Amino acid sequence: MIEALGLSKRYGTLEAVRDVSFTVSAGEILGLLGPNGAGKTTIMKILTCGLFPTSGTARVGGNDVLSAPLAVKESIGYLPENAPLYPDLTVREYLRFIGDARGLRRVEWARALERVVGECGLSDVIDRLIGELSKGYRQRTGLAQALLHDPRILILDEPTTGLDPSQIVEIRELIRKLGTEKTVMLSSHILQEVEATCHRVLILSAGKVVAQGTKEEMERGMRGESLLDLTLRVRAALDATMLAQVRGVRRIVSQAAGPEGRLELRLALAPDAGAEEAIFDWVASQGAKIIAMVPQRISLEDIFLSLTERPQQ
Amino acid sequence: MKTLTIARRELQAAFNSPVAYIVAVAYLVFTTVWVFFLNQFFAQNEASLRIYFTIVPTVFIFLVPALTMRSWAEERRMGTLEVLLSLPFREGEVVLGKFVGIFGLLLLVVVLSLPLPLFLSRMGVFDWGQIAGQYLGVLLIGAAGISVGLFISALSTNQVAAFILTGLALVALTLAGQLPEAVGLPSWLSAVLGYVSFGHHFDSFNRGIIDSRDLLYFLLAIALFLFLNVRVLMVRKSS
Repeated sequence: MIEALGLSKRYGTLEAVRDVSFTVSAGEILGLLGPNGAGKTTIMKILTCGLFPTSGTARVGGNDVLSAPLAVKESIGYLPENAPLYPDLTVREYLRFIGDARGLRRVEWARALERVVGECGLSDVIDRLIGELSKGYRQRTGLAQALLHDPRILILDEPTTGLDPSQIVEIRELIRKLGTEKTVMLSSHILQEVEATCHRVLILSAGKVVAQGTKEEMERGMRGESLLDLTLRVRAALDATMLAQVRGVRRIVSQAAGPEGRLELRLALAPDAGAEEAIFDWVASQGAKIIAMVPQRISLEDIFLSLTERPQQ
Repeated sequence: MKTLTIARRELQAAFNSPVAYIVAVAYLVFTTVWVFFLNQFFAQNEASLRIYFTIVPTVFIFLVPALTMRSWAEERRMGTLEVLLSLPFREGEVVLGKFVGIFGLLLLVVVLSLPLPLFLSRMGVFDWGQIAGQYLGVLLIGAAGISVGLFISALSTNQVAAFILTGLALVALTLAGQLPEAVGLPSWLSAVLGYVSFGHHFDSFNRGIIDSRDLLYFLLAIALFLFLNVRVLMVRKSS
């Protein structure tokens, strides 16, 4: 349903998006995950025809964003970040405008309005001015805007920012429900959000895709790494950074001094390299003792943090 | 149809804010004060509304920017432009829709001003053909100003900047024709300045002459700035 082919976007000298490719199949919920400034919004703007890519292109619902923007816009519902709305219209007037823009006839519009008002829980505020609404209702009005023409494809930029916890749960539930019949793409910088709602995740960092797959695929070691928690008792000064040189050890993820001369380390290991034995030997040769050696499952959070917090070149 | 959807939204926004009302009142007050107090209309003892219409371009220098400053700048500042661009419109339709909406507002203000000349017209034998030409001129110079103002608003994110820049542009465009008289420029230059000046072309209408060249000038000016406005939207998307 959505296909990005080598998308790049440069703003002056800043490369906001670099050679990003991905696909979202029908009936799938894809989460774009990344810290602020990773390029999530830029990608969404390109997919919704608000920006032209510097190079590459994308097909949304089978139509090219560059050569058939009108067809693309007709097939999508888009909720930009912070749900921008006209404060001086009532919810009904606003959705009327959207209905006209979407070319809905009166009867169709009335039916669509009833549907989205129910789905988004807007019946109490339908005749209130948008400017007077709480953040939660505004977000829902924005979502109603995106849903009014019952699009096949939904693109939601940070759909739950600024909502309180119970509202977040409601919106996530709604997105999951919508995801059973629509193709949904949402962005977030919050991991739990993506874990809770998405089938598949695309992790972005500094404009590049650093990982993608289902949650399970990623946890199985998307990059072929496994984690090992190691607790040592060291007598003298030990240069633990030397551990990174040991065969099978890719890098030291974290390192902290514990009580009673303990040193707690988390190591990332290459798969099937027999690193555990090499580590044992190295520690023994340094005159230190291994208190514990615990293999860890990599969680999505670890992947996210390790991929996005590394210094950029 | 899509153009009218945008135009209606633009009008709704104008009437939900004080701007439309302030502009209407200001137009009526300025023109009235000008005719009766500053120019002593009755003392002139002339059955012509030329004096009344002479001030209109000057009044528009202040009023047109007030009408157009919000149009794009506000949509960009609030982020609603992103939604607008994701709706199935062509860029040209959005630009034209905004133009039609704001022009509709100006038309309304001009209609509200009709009682004054109608009232005056009972006091003498007026040339109705000339008055029709004067109103046509008012609408054309207003429309051209709106087109310029929309273009400038599209370039700015800030309403105040859009207001001031549009005001300056309209001062230059309106008064360019009068500059040669003031400073004694070579005749070819004053001809050029006269030709690009809104005021110069409006004067013909004010004299009651409907010249196809003046008509064409205003239509071209309107089209040019609407076209540039569309270009600004397109360039924004690729920058």
